[in-house]
Amino acid sequence: MKKIALNGLLISLALVLSFVERFIPLNLIVPLPGVKLGLANIVSMFALFYLGISSTLSIIVIRCTLGSLMFGGMTSFLYSLAGALFSLIAMSLLKSGYDRVFSIAGISMGGAAAHNTGQLVMASIIMKDAAIFAYLPVLLITGLITGLFIAFVSVYLFAIFEKTKIVTFIK
Amino acid sequence: MFRLDSEGVILRLKFKIGDIFIVILILLTAVLTSVKSLQGNYSTKIAVISQNNTVLQRISLNDHSSESLYIDYGGKYPGTIEVNGGKVRFHQAECPDQVCVETGWISKPGQIAVCLPAGVIIKIEGENDEFDLMVK
Repeated sequence: MKKIALNGLLISLALVLSFVERFIPLNLIVPLPGVKLGLANIVSMFALFYLGISSTLSIIVIRCTLGSLMFGGMTSFLYSLAGALFSLIAMSLLKSGYDRVFSIAGISMGGAAAHNTGQLVMASIIMKDAAIFAYLPVLLITGLITGLFIAFVSVYLFAIFEKTKIVTFIK
Repeated sequence: MFRLDSEGVILRLKFKIGDIFIVILILLTAVLTSVKSLQGNYSTKIAVISQNNTVLQRISLNDHSSESLYIDYGGKYPGTIEVNGGKVRFHQAECPDQVCVETGWISKPGQIAVCLPAGVIIKIEGENDEFDLMVK
């Protein structure tokens, strides 16, 4: 019961973060489609480390669905879902080596790169044109920076959340 | 207030050996894909404008006139593409994010400009008809 409530809370938090992100004009620095901070990924990181992969999966699928219903459309749903699923797969694979091989920064950066790759794969399927992969280099580099940023924010958030003793860190 | 200088934070901010591999792998992929897409000397440049996999127009960019040529496209989010002096860009668009307009001018073969909401992509293709000069 507590877990369902927490999941609901996290979904709404992720939605708020992806809405707030629209007012951060990262596009003015790198004006390419798909460039954004990925603030909602803070929630995914948290869910992955404290609630497990199944909760994270449900959170991101519901977040993408509701987000597209509210501010996007069918195509934006497909883009965000592809990105989110790719990054979840990458992050959960990297997480299996957490602490021994990878830190949270590495997991987050890998997740960001996978997110951008997933969006480009979906874009090339929708537009039936692989030329969109010309954006891959720039998106990968910006993903490194935003992924690192998200990792720092997540680590601080984890520290605060652990003091509430509501959830425990899953290694 | 919560104190943030706890050991947990510092411990988790420490980079691990695998992180270096992730960064190197991502950078390597970025470099290799950018080298592949932006190589070559082309004598002819063509801007190919397509919407939802249908080519709307192919325009030569070798004609360096200073007069702008405008191409309109329709759909859910219509807009206008401008061709001028060997360069091409989204001049105005009615899409919500305006990323396509902010992308600005593109002029090199391999470069693209995209409006995802409208499903419009501008590609610059290079063609070579002076092979002898190239190969030497």
